[in-house]
Amino acid sequence: MPWYRQVYDWLEHRLQLEGPVMEAMVHPVPRKTASWWYVFGSASFVLLILQVVTGILLALVYAPSAAHAWDSLEVLNHQLPLGWFLRAMHGWGSNFMVAVVLIHMCQVFLFGGHKYPREFTWVLGVCMLLMTLGMAFTGQVLRFDQDAYWGLGIGASIAGRVPFVGGQLVHLMLGGPMINGATLTRFFALHVFVIPGALLAFTGLHLWMVVKLGINEWPMPGRIVRRETYMKEYHDLTHTDGLAFVPLAVWKDLFFSAAILLAVAACAAYFGPFGPKGAPDPTIINTVPKPDFFFLWLYTVLSYLPPNLETPFLLIVPPIAIAFLIAIPFVAGIGEKSWWRRPVAVFAVFFIAVCWGAFTQLGTYTPWSPQMHAWSGAPVPEKLLVNRTPLERQGAVVLQQKQCRNCHELGGMGGQRGPALDDVAGHMTEDQLYRQVLQGGGNMPAYGAALSPAETTALVKFLTTLKVNYAPAASDASRQVADADTGTAATGAR
Amino acid sequence: MEGPNNPLESEAQVRDISRRTLLMKIGIGLNALVAAAIATPVIAYVLGPVLKRKEYLDWVDLGSLSNFPVGETTLVNYRNPFTNSWDGDTANVPAYVRRTSDTDFTVFAVNCAHLGCPVKWFKESQLFMCPCHGGAYYADGSRASGPPERGLFTYGLKLQKGKLLINAGQMPTLQNQAGLGKTPCSGGDASVKPQIVARIEPCPGTDKSTIG
Amino acid sequence: MQSEVSSRAKNVTRYGCLLLAVSFLAGCKLPGKPKDGPEVPRPEQVLSFDELYAANCSGCHGAHGEKGPAMNLANPEYQALVDDASLRDIIVNGEKGTLMPAFGEKQGGELTDAQVNVLVKGLRAKWGKGDVLSGLNAPTWKATHAGDPAAGKLVYEAACARCHSASGSQPSKGGSILDGSFLAVVNEQMIRTTVIAGRPDLGMPDWRSLKQSGPLTDNEVTDVTAWLMSQKPALPGQPYGSAAPAQPAAAPANKISGKD
Repeated sequence: MPWYRQVYDWLEHRLQLEGPVMEAMVHPVPRKTASWWYVFGSASFVLLILQVVTGILLALVYAPSAAHAWDSLEVLNHQLPLGWFLRAMHGWGSNFMVAVVLIHMCQVFLFGGHKYPREFTWVLGVCMLLMTLGMAFTGQVLRFDQDAYWGLGIGASIAGRVPFVGGQLVHLMLGGPMINGATLTRFFALHVFVIPGALLAFTGLHLWMVVKLGINEWPMPGRIVRRETYMKEYHDLTHTDGLAFVPLAVWKDLFFSAAILLAVAACAAYFGPFGPKGAPDPTIINTVPKPDFFFLWLYTVLSYLPPNLETPFLLIVPPIAIAFLIAIPFVAGIGEKSWWRRPVAVFAVFFIAVCWGAFTQLGTYTPWSPQMHAWSGAPVPEKLLVNRTPLERQGAVVLQQKQCRNCHELGGMGGQRGPALDDVAGHMTEDQLYRQVLQGGGNMPAYGAALSPAETTALVKFLTTLKVNYAPAASDASRQVADADTGTAATGAR
Repeated sequence: MEGPNNPLESEAQVRDISRRTLLMKIGIGLNALVAAAIATPVIAYVLGPVLKRKEYLDWVDLGSLSNFPVGETTLVNYRNPFTNSWDGDTANVPAYVRRTSDTDFTVFAVNCAHLGCPVKWFKESQLFMCPCHGGAYYADGSRASGPPERGLFTYGLKLQKGKLLINAGQMPTLQNQAGLGKTPCSGGDASVKPQIVARIEPCPGTDKSTIG
Repeated sequence: MQSEVSSRAKNVTRYGCLLLAVSFLAGCKLPGKPKDGPEVPRPEQVLSFDELYAANCSGCHGAHGEKGPAMNLANPEYQALVDDASLRDIIVNGEKGTLMPAFGEKQGGELTDAQVNVLVKGLRAKWGKGDVLSGLNAPTWKATHAGDPAAGKLVYEAACARCHSASGSQPSKGGSILDGSFLAVVNEQMIRTTVIAGRPDLGMPDWRSLKQSGPLTDNEVTDVTAWLMSQKPALPGQPYGSAAPAQPAAAPANKISGKD
């Protein structure tokens, strides 16, 4: 007998693990579940392990102190061999993990995997999704840069909207009345101990139930889930048309996990780590905070909500959404599993996916945010200044100097908060331009206080030259009627 | 094999089991008590930094009044009064001081009233703009456009011995308003005599009819 | 048997070491490796002229210092005309009476003294061509005395009117510079600078060829700017021009509050 066999036997005699482990490994699964659709759960698990390992390695260097965290990340990025690569693995691993967990959830939902008897597996899964998102947010905080600082500000502002206890809640969340060192240590404890601990425990339970209750079978239209008969039907299915999980079904999980790990490593090697961006000094107010990818949709939603709906939305919708997710298996715990017979479920998934995609896409270029440096950094396109009078040219300077470009594009440069001005004279008359500039309106501030009459005149004179090629300028039809009526050139002076 | 369900078990055994069950329950209760006794003070530990320290209610000295020219809005930095040695740069907090006359000051928090991002002052257009979701405010702090539902937060202030002091120890949010500032558009205007205006001063906080 | 195993093990170690070395070498050159220095430096640490110019100046002065709506910085005559201290002062404090804002940190702007110095040096290095005005008897940049508007009117007619029109009401090649609103957003120094250095990017000649009979003298430049500034109306920018009512300044206010 070789020596390793002897060691194994010695250990097994004392551990007594072989029986239960073998049983779990070779348990029969329905033949059709040995499918590429069933690999996302195990991939999530592998990514979780990757995050734990890379996280521990990063924690060897990271200093959870507000004064030093950013510096320690810079050391990781620049001074330690492959420190940047570990940061990149951890960051990309986080993105991949959120993505794979979400895909896993959609797949389970569309395959009816939340139905009897796996309701509680689903509930735990929802909790684990929330923890994964919690890890993503707290992880962004630990990357203690300007985005993290102001992201915390956003979190505190949301907490501050809770009626009655909002104030205390903010102090509790920040570990004091303002974002400082105590805030970072709090989020460090959450990110490194509390949430991962809970996540690992929940993962254990989740897996335990998967093994005990069996993997969800491939749904077939017409195969109805009934509480009375399901267990027996599933048992029969696995024993008449089943495979041993190891080794007949597991190879796809293994292949996919390897592919995912390779993808994380490739992204890490090619795109590198996330940040850290600017140092977390709140006195640097020249900053444009932006959340990480998986919170961009929220960033978008928050900019488009009407002011009076914001607080109700922020405080009511998340609890309802979570309650709704948890309630799904209890409301629809039996019946059809197949997506062919569950149009509402399929529509809901696609609707949410499309909304999420649209909001995220908007979040990547934030058309609602002023571009803080456009006024001094986005040149007036030269072709708009050809053959302009000195007054009109000064009007262009006014347009720049009064920060109009921060919200208005010219020639594709500038903010997108307001409409582009390239053709503004084509649809607004001179009078309308005066009124709009001085009084604002339609979400534009009034500039009456900031512009002298001469500046206003110069600005409007420039704006009236902005029209496309030979298109006619906007004109006021009523003026011609009025002129014809009175028979005078009332506007002759202009 | 003998188990508790064995019909032959004696009275004594049953009594013994119920006695042991009782002892187990007492044991659990004891543990719960001890745990509660230890844990309750720990709650105070968790809440400690929030409950105990009141430095944030202190007045912060922003320096001599002469640092703030009349008619201008100036960016200042101060050190958070509620600070630990490991806070580093995060304890430096910015604020805007607006001085409209010799004695009229308003101190704005940089935090947007929407979600707390740092607003930036543009003196050319007399606007504060927020880089996050596009909130904009007029020079007097009132809301100009965008998602905020109110004007900028102001800190409580007092003038003492030629110095400007503010009460600015906490991050302003909708529930933790930094302090009760005056509302610039409501009072004080009555004394101003009508005169030829070089610029038109709107009072947008009170006027919602600017929709075009 | 034993030796075969050990040689295989040796092979494995050798290949392993090679693989490790290759991956480390590759690690040094992977595209994801962060560049030196922080990804986003503190704003005051930006000390490259091109970055500073693009972010702070290009909006009005043009991406290449020309053909923007504001002063033509790429004009070597302009660079020769204005000395370093004045250029620095204009950047830091702005130019009163014009739309040039103050960029200095103490004046509410964003630029530190070091950054302003970088800008001044960079402007010289990029667009200055040395003292191109030496020996040309150019007028001084600053006026040495107050001008005579009456004499200035004659200079205007001789030097400016052919492109900018004599009265300001009829259309002209260069556009009117007698418009009240225009005169209200520029100052005497800006007109003087433009008259002397010209706007080569827009086809406006410098002081030497404005007048057909020869270069403008220092006095003539002083006089013509004085006359132009004297043409600025008391209440510029009124929307209905000469048809202004008795209380002209109140008119726009009434107009605005009366609407809507």
